[in-house]
Amino acid sequence: MGPRWQQDGAFGKEKKKEPGPRAPSLAVPAGAAVYVYQNLRPFYKHRLPPRAPAPLERDVWDQARQDKIDPLMLKEMLESIREKAEIPLSARSLRFLTLEPGELQAFVTLHKDQPLQHQTVITCMTTLRKDLADEDGATCLVLGTESREVLILDPEAFTGLAQMTLAAVPAFLEATGQFDVEYRLTAACRNGCLYLLRRDSRRPRCCIELSAQPVGLVRVQKTLVVGCSDDTLRGYTQKGKRLWTVQLPAPLLTMALLEQKSRGFQAVLAALSNQEVHVYRDKALLDVIQTPDVVTGLIFGRYGREDSTLLMTTKGGGLLVKMLKRRAVLEAPLAPGPPLAQAVRLAVPKKTRLYVDQTLREREAGAAMHQVFQTELSRLRLSAARAYVRALQGSLAPLSATPQHPLSLRATVQGVGPTFKLTLHLQSAAPAGASTGLLLSFQYDEHLYAMASSLLRTPMLVPGLNYPIETFVECLSDKGISDIIKVLVLQEGLRTPLLTAHINMPVSEGLVAA
Amino acid sequence: MAGPGAQLVSSFPVAKEPQKPRPKKVPELPILERRNWLIHLHYVRKDYDACKMIIKEQLQESHGMCEYAVYVQALIFRLEGKIQESLELFQTCSILNPQSADNLKQVARSLFLLGKHKAAIEVYNEAAKLNEKDWEISHNLGVCYMYLKHFNKARDQLNKALQLNRHDLTYIMLGKIYLLEGETDKAIEVYKTAVEFSPENTELLTTLGLLYLQLGAYQKAFEHLGNALTYDPSNYKAILAAGSMMQTHGDFDVALTKYRVVACAVPESPPLWNNIGMCFFGKKKYVAAISCLKRANYLAPFDWKILYNLGLVHLTMQQYASAFHFLSAAINFQPKMGELYMLLAVALTNLEDTENAKRSYEQAVALDQCNPLVNLNYAVLLYNQGDKKGALCQYQEMEKKVNVLKETSTLDFDPEMVDMAQKMGAALQVGESLVWTKPIKDSKSKQRAASGKPSSTQQPLGSNQALGQAMSSAAGYGKTIQLSSGVGISAPLAKPPSLPLEPEPGSETGPEETTEPQERRKEK
Repeated sequence: MGPRWQQDGAFGKEKKKEPGPRAPSLAVPAGAAVYVYQNLRPFYKHRLPPRAPAPLERDVWDQARQDKIDPLMLKEMLESIREKAEIPLSARSLRFLTLEPGELQAFVTLHKDQPLQHQTVITCMTTLRKDLADEDGATCLVLGTESREVLILDPEAFTGLAQMTLAAVPAFLEATGQFDVEYRLTAACRNGCLYLLRRDSRRPRCCIELSAQPVGLVRVQKTLVVGCSDDTLRGYTQKGKRLWTVQLPAPLLTMALLEQKSRGFQAVLAALSNQEVHVYRDKALLDVIQTPDVVTGLIFGRYGREDSTLLMTTKGGGLLVKMLKRRAVLEAPLAPGPPLAQAVRLAVPKKTRLYVDQTLREREAGAAMHQVFQTELSRLRLSAARAYVRALQGSLAPLSATPQHPLSLRATVQGVGPTFKLTLHLQSAAPAGASTGLLLSFQYDEHLYAMASSLLRTPMLVPGLNYPIETFVECLSDKGISDIIKVLVLQEGLRTPLLTAHINMPVSEGLVAA
Repeated sequence: MAGPGAQLVSSFPVAKEPQKPRPKKVPELPILERRNWLIHLHYVRKDYDACKMIIKEQLQESHGMCEYAVYVQALIFRLEGKIQESLELFQTCSILNPQSADNLKQVARSLFLLGKHKAAIEVYNEAAKLNEKDWEISHNLGVCYMYLKHFNKARDQLNKALQLNRHDLTYIMLGKIYLLEGETDKAIEVYKTAVEFSPENTELLTTLGLLYLQLGAYQKAFEHLGNALTYDPSNYKAILAAGSMMQTHGDFDVALTKYRVVACAVPESPPLWNNIGMCFFGKKKYVAAISCLKRANYLAPFDWKILYNLGLVHLTMQQYASAFHFLSAAINFQPKMGELYMLLAVALTNLEDTENAKRSYEQAVALDQCNPLVNLNYAVLLYNQGDKKGALCQYQEMEKKVNVLKETSTLDFDPEMVDMAQKMGAALQVGESLVWTKPIKDSKSKQRAASGKPSSTQQPLGSNQALGQAMSSAAGYGKTIQLSSGVGISAPLAKPPSLPLEPEPGSETGPEETTEPQERRKEK
């Protein structure tokens, strides 16, 4: 059992001074309990009362205890309860549901005699004065739990003084006022909402939708300052109206209140992930503290004899202590001014001497240049058109344009020589029936290449299918030269080829190497 | 964080254990939610690596039953762009806890991100059964309907969302829908309410300013853009829009200073370099203007407005051959604009290709509705060619347009244009003095009272650039290239080039500049 406790304890994040009569104590929430220390010694442990499980669930387990139902049936019933119940199942039932059929019986025998409990977990904590506003007054603990409740505990007896229900699990709590007189609670919840509660309200009076996750919550006088996961710091009134928004330069990690009681001065400390701690008063950035590591915990207050001390814990496990100079004035906000970028000169591209010369030339002879250009353009178009017509007439393209025989031809050459394998892929796209009576003819330089047959008969071409036709070519030259082989697809009885392909043969490396 | 605390606490159970002797030791089952708060804390602090480690441990311990761990894992997947994985995990969540509207909302959100809007709507509707008064559900339903182009339903849902809880985002979406439907007035109303609700939102301010700019309400536009800039002095859109307005008023130096901020933030923005180029043009630094415009053209080669401006600057520099190429390129992208053909005609006139210049003017006159310059320039060309009849015809067309403009708008005519028109009138006056005297008087009075088309055409050039809508507006037109290609084929006659002009002062208006070459010729 020991290790688990230790682990939980390691997560205890809130350390609050809880001054009783003259002897301050420290409360650490962990799991379902609050541990109270005095003079660095364990003093008291308060475990939150377990919640009653859903009545249906309890009945089912009761029946199991009396062996009225077998484990398989129990499992079925629990499943159905889970799907409908308002109250989530207890840890025992949920665990039971994950077990293999073989383990069920053993689990039931082991656990059935224990009372069924639904234990909740503390998620956040803050403090609230009981009756006196001064330093020495007794302080109530305010706890937020995983079961969406806010509890206020009596400072002496640790009995629940008040209990409120929220719509979501609270992540940060903030309290002001005195419990016996009038108080306000603010809960920042995991659904991205702020709920504002007052004395005697069991349900939240007002809800602020942040549309981002809250990362920190601090009250500065009557303003609620919320840091959000969209890198903003926002100020809200107690009635939920947004006052201002500040864009932060980096993601926010944690926030704390900076309070100089002697001056009546309050500001917000915000630790950012760029290793800076910013000090804001409303929208104005008052100061920036550079830190050697990312700060994850902040607390400002009295440390020894020094009233204004800032304690910072860092991600790497360091602790930083900074004391505010007693004469320090945090009033003057840093001047905003125009953005720095405005002082940077525009990088206008430079033009060369050549460009200027060309410009002058164009001015002098613009019309002539235009004419020459247009003439040449016309010539280019003419020669392109001629080449196109030639290609069409000679069926030089690897795609046949005749409507009766829409053919396509692809060729691959394999081998290093002197013998090459030439594969021709013929495909027909004729809409009406197969193409028959086609011939393949090769034209090549007979001094360079030799082929078994320069005329091949193709099989019947079914449209859409690919017909690979293989043949061998032997290179006769040893001088490392290569040439083109023309492939003509012919139709019996037609004078012009259907299509022509030029195959650029590779150099025969076999002979060259030899 | 709580190093010492941890040790202390660990001593606790040791101290307590002997006090609780139990008959049979039953292992206590770990509470499923015990580390949820830590998962949440790491998640909101964006320490996703640590978060994923804890989630993994927690899921091992709880045999995958810890709903919140699965939920956050899904959120992280979504942030990492693994939408499909996140969808599956959210579905697991909603199996673990079918009563939670939030799980359903997230399933729907993932479906939405995957582009399955219809499926998303179904899941949202189911979530709405569990939680009726949820702003987010209504808003997202509205957005889904918007993408499905069911604008009526979308508007209903968004208005419902606004009733539940007011958010800037809902206003923005509602405004967008009105803009998609082409109802600028209603969109402005929405944005106005939004700005009242959230006076410091720069996006709202900028959008409203740009809408006013489109409607020609320059005072209001400037006010809102200025407000946006006070809250965020480096707002890209607002600077460009405000800068283009300064340019219209001739504050080129101020505009250039503002553009420096944008040049640092978005150095590869075509509209920015276009506007900078036109600033230099206004300051008569033509070489700088050309190099900036060429950079803009390099960054956005298909933007006809940049090509238009390039053509214009080259005309001013008497580089008519270059101007011809830029203008014909612009016409290829935007074949429905009379002014472009007019500029092309001016270039062709100077390239001694009168035949094609005339054809280009014909096209310009056919397309243009309200710019008197087109007709005036054509009249000058016809007159120079000795075609007095045609010139007179164009002159009368111009008069008509001027009269319409006088009634509808309040801006001044360009004095140069008026001067030119008077000379033209005088030259054509043969027996038409009656007709002629009137327009002179008209145009004189116009100088103060009536509006010049030039300045109103030029503003959209700058401002629309800023809106980034130039492309979309230009994209609507089909391509008709007949004229420019016709020009290309024709072989112009060789003639000595006309007298080079010194670049004339003038604002960045296109059409205005073009009268100059014509005018000079006539004076010859």
